[in-house]
Amino acid sequence: MDAIELVEVTKRFGATTALDQLTMSVAHGEVHGFLGPNGSGKSTTIRLLLGLLRADSGTVRMLGGDPWGEAPTLHRRLAYVPGDVALWPGLTGGEVIDLLGRLRGGIDTTRRAQLLERFDLDPTKKGTTYSKGNRQKVALVAALASDVELLLLDEPTSGLDPLMEAQFRAVISGERDRGRTVLLSSHILSEVEHLCDRVSIIRAGQIVESGTLAELRHLTRTSVVAELAAPVPEALASAPGVHDAQIEGHRLTCQVDDTELGPVMSRLSALGIRAITSTPPTLEELFLRHYDESA
Amino acid sequence: MNGATGLGELVRLAARRSRWFYLAWVLALTLVVPATAAAYEQIIDPANADLLITTMTGIMGVLGIVRSTRAQEEDGRIELLRSGAVARHVPLVAGLVVGLAACAALGVLVAVAMIVVGAPAAGSVAFGGGLALVGATFLGIGAVAAQLTASARTANALGLWTLAAAYTLRAVADGSGEGATARLAWASPVQWMALARPYADERWWVLALPAAATLLLVVGAVALEAGRDHGAGLWAARRGRATAPERLRDASGLAWRLHRGQVVGWSIGMLLFALAMGSLSTSFGEMLEEVPQLRIIFERMGGGAERLVEAFFVAMLSIVSVVMAVLAVSLFGRLREQEERGHAELVLSTALSRRRLLGSHLAIAALVPVLLLAVVGAVLALNQSRSVGDWSIVAETAGAALALAPGGLVALGIAVLVHGWAPRLGWVAWVVVGWSLFMAWVGTALDLPEWLTRLTPWAALPQLPVEGMDWTAVLVTLAVAVLLVAAGAVGYRRRDITGL
Repeated sequence: MDAIELVEVTKRFGATTALDQLTMSVAHGEVHGFLGPNGSGKSTTIRLLLGLLRADSGTVRMLGGDPWGEAPTLHRRLAYVPGDVALWPGLTGGEVIDLLGRLRGGIDTTRRAQLLERFDLDPTKKGTTYSKGNRQKVALVAALASDVELLLLDEPTSGLDPLMEAQFRAVISGERDRGRTVLLSSHILSEVEHLCDRVSIIRAGQIVESGTLAELRHLTRTSVVAELAAPVPEALASAPGVHDAQIEGHRLTCQVDDTELGPVMSRLSALGIRAITSTPPTLEELFLRHYDESA
Repeated sequence: MNGATGLGELVRLAARRSRWFYLAWVLALTLVVPATAAAYEQIIDPANADLLITTMTGIMGVLGIVRSTRAQEEDGRIELLRSGAVARHVPLVAGLVVGLAACAALGVLVAVAMIVVGAPAAGSVAFGGGLALVGATFLGIGAVAAQLTASARTANALGLWTLAAAYTLRAVADGSGEGATARLAWASPVQWMALARPYADERWWVLALPAAATLLLVVGAVALEAGRDHGAGLWAARRGRATAPERLRDASGLAWRLHRGQVVGWSIGMLLFALAMGSLSTSFGEMLEEVPQLRIIFERMGGGAERLVEAFFVAMLSIVSVVMAVLAVSLFGRLREQEERGHAELVLSTALSRRRLLGSHLAIAALVPVLLLAVVGAVLALNQSRSVGDWSIVAETAGAALALAPGGLVALGIAVLVHGWAPRLGWVAWVVVGWSLFMAWVGTALDLPEWLTRLTPWAALPQLPVEGMDWTAVLVTLAVAVLLVAAGAVGYRRRDITGL
């Protein structure tokens, strides 16, 4: 049984359809990256998992239960960090951390102290006087100091500086090693590349890609720049799997479908390769391809 | 770029953001003034009857300026505006311009309304003008408060506490009759309008006092703003505790923490009110014997009591019980605010159930006003009991107050029902309490038909001790309240929490 399972879930707000037959799953113990442009339905999905919203149709299962009907019981086993953390004006960061921890059913004070130090957070300031990044740290410390199975993180590092982001990565790696499941929605691709075992890409309320990073890369093209011993034959530009070819005498620049990489390489080595660079697709290119289609 | 760059745009923006706020206040005040005045016309001179009106105008001034300045700054909207071609003081000045325009509109409307109901023209102009200028003074007080602290809530509290101090000053001055203490009234902004003596040989020069005070306060606020950073107050934000106290461990601990300030403020205010009214009650009888028309009105408001003191208690309690409904609906409104600001999302992501979250706010919104109502009833009767030497009156009056409590709980029930099923219609509960307040205050005095004045949640409840105890009415009203709450709770468990 997966930690999170959504099957053909639809959620409408009036006339707009936020989630359209969305299907995705997150296995126990994996760090799952959740990517998508703004307004594509990431936060709606997470709010469905929290039982804040009710699906119009489809099945939502989380930690073996129904998030809508059994919300309080399931919530003992998870912690959530919203993208925009709203702290109470009259409560200090420390008070919020303790309150949220107690509401979840307990807080590990040693770990709380470690995390405060690690994230360099002053717990004595009042809610409204924290910056966006520090408000996120308050929610992060509260979430990580509780002993839970599942972490739901909605763009948790969007306000953190690079130093804190590195701390965040280290902490999440530690959580994975301890066997926790993490659903991490993010825009920061390097973060996802570093941390995530699997990735789901959402666009307009539907999952358009899902799999390990290696699997997703297979769907894309490698850019190849080759310097050959002989002039490049024109026919190569129209070979199967070759795109955007530019030929200047002995030099070839092109994109190659990963599935056709082998045959193309054989043809090039038959012509004699003097120099070659091949760049694997970055997640960013993967992304832009999907994001662009939504435009 | 000069000092007024962007003023035109920001005035338009402030007017747009505050139009409903000011419109509601100005219209409500304009309606209440002539109604009250007509009711008391022959008996009391209108200026005396209208401490309520000046106080309300003061509240409008403070809330109005804080919401269009400090609240905007706290929410980060002014930062965006300031990054554009907008001079430093323009956001503050724009808020002041719109607030002053609202005060001026109030003054003109009140003066016209008074003339229409047949009051002398000169007095009406002094009355409307005085009211507008008192409003402007509190606009200035709010503007200064908004510079001192970085939080809109604290700024509101500062302004309203100043208003309460002015009110108390005037009460002390009034109670002392003549002499040095009576002159204290001159230091109370809420009294300036009355000191100009509208309808009684107007002293126009007195109106220069609020005008000068407004000017000073506005200049002061601008000077203070010049000396602070954007987003900061002149008072540095205080540090707090690094860990949560033991009490802050569940939904009710959090709810109490969020409601604490409001509960304490209201309790102090209501106790002062009860003490003041209670001290009036003994001298009231003699006063009324001399003025037959007022006696008739109070007997009417007091449900036809034979003894005037009883009529007085009944009249006071019928108003206080509606005011407590205002408190109840306002306290419950905190839950809506928690959802709008995203706090509810955070706590509901923990093991807290919606039922408990609703219950934590509901418990405070139901219990505090009922308790306070009983205490006000008891305190109201203290003086009378002492002078008669019969302490059972204290318990009886507290009981009479409690018999009216289910009415307020029905109003609260309406608020819960609406919040559970259609949170966008949150204003419905306010219409109910607003209407009830109007009817309790002036409805009877105006001699409106009884079916109209009783068209409120309090309709069936007995007015003790004039009427006998009616357990059926009390229990049925209570049952209606419970049903409304239960129905609201069902809806609350079924709807989306969207952050609205």
